[in-house]
Amino acid sequence: MNKEIEYSFVKQLEANQNIVHKICRLYTNDQDAHDDLFQEITIQLWRAFPKFRGDSKFSTWMYRVSLNTAITLYRKSKRQISTQDFENISFKIKSEEYDDTTEQQLKLMYDAVKKLNDIDKALVFLYLEDKSYKEISLNLGISEVNARVKMNRAKDKLRKILNP
Amino acid sequence: MDKLDKLKENWQSEKHELPKVSFDKIYKMLLKKSSSIVKWIFVISIIELFFWIGLYFTVPEDNINMMKELGLESVMYYTEMFNFFIFGIFIIFFYRNYKSIKITDSTKVLMQNILNTRKSVRYFVYYNVGMTIAYFIAINTYLLNDSDKLYKIMHSYNQDIPKEGFANIFITSQIIVFLIVLGLLILFYWLVYGILLKKLKRNYKELKKINS
Repeated sequence: MNKEIEYSFVKQLEANQNIVHKICRLYTNDQDAHDDLFQEITIQLWRAFPKFRGDSKFSTWMYRVSLNTAITLYRKSKRQISTQDFENISFKIKSEEYDDTTEQQLKLMYDAVKKLNDIDKALVFLYLEDKSYKEISLNLGISEVNARVKMNRAKDKLRKILNP
Repeated sequence: MDKLDKLKENWQSEKHELPKVSFDKIYKMLLKKSSSIVKWIFVISIIELFFWIGLYFTVPEDNINMMKELGLESVMYYTEMFNFFIFGIFIIFFYRNYKSIKITDSTKVLMQNILNTRKSVRYFVYYNVGMTIAYFIAINTYLLNDSDKLYKIMHSYNQDIPKEGFANIFITSQIIVFLIVLGLLILFYWLVYGILLKKLKRNYKELKKINS
């Protein structure tokens, strides 16, 4: 029984691991920190797994637990995300489809998102993942109206970071 | 904010190169949490050993000379060596705990290992606290057995020491210092190993819940 649960959990996480990697990439700056956060999120997911009843999709549930873990850890360490190591993070876009300027702009934007605070980052992440405001609000435990307001503020902050 | 939407577009197209973690690796991660705690126990015990060794070599010369005159030098030396030896054995135990927790992929073995680690840490703390108490009692009994000799030797190092009620003052100050040292030692163990063991216990409970 135990083995079956473990197997099913790992199988589902393996299939959906992109979500976790994207979060790790947003919240960390180097590969070691990325791996650490991935492991921490895996453990938190596994801990929370007995409470996962399957009334939502595994991936939906994953968003909530993973973001919460990233936010909590980020708060604990209080470390500032610097963007110096950004070049090392592969954010590769096929060159035949995008010219250098597009890539540069995307990089700058991604860079700006990384500079946001933990909650705003989670908000923008869910937005980038094409989640509705209802889903965003459920994931972050805030009201839908609040999610919209916060998202607008986050966009303002991004604008300010890009055009200081 | 069309720049953000551009990023979103690109984000959705999933062209970023994301790492891929294998099934086995994820599986191992489920058991990893305890291994980092056990690693810390191992590391801290080594640091602690070096601390005590360092302390042994930084005893002021006056104290060493006084110990010589009191006839305690070789006793102290052998006690310390014995202590370091026992410490070494515990460190080997901690290392073995860490190694076996690191390589295991079964929750059953992991749970057994957690219990073993907790047990060895407990014995380690009992040994250290017990040894400190025994050492204090033995040395002071020996010293006060011939308090005149003790007074003479101490007086030669510090002229201010009064003869009147010397034994009482000596034992009182020894007890006060001892209690402070013992308190600090217990506080250290309680803070460091206590917290680590508590975390291990929590992991153990979780594993048990999953297993049942």
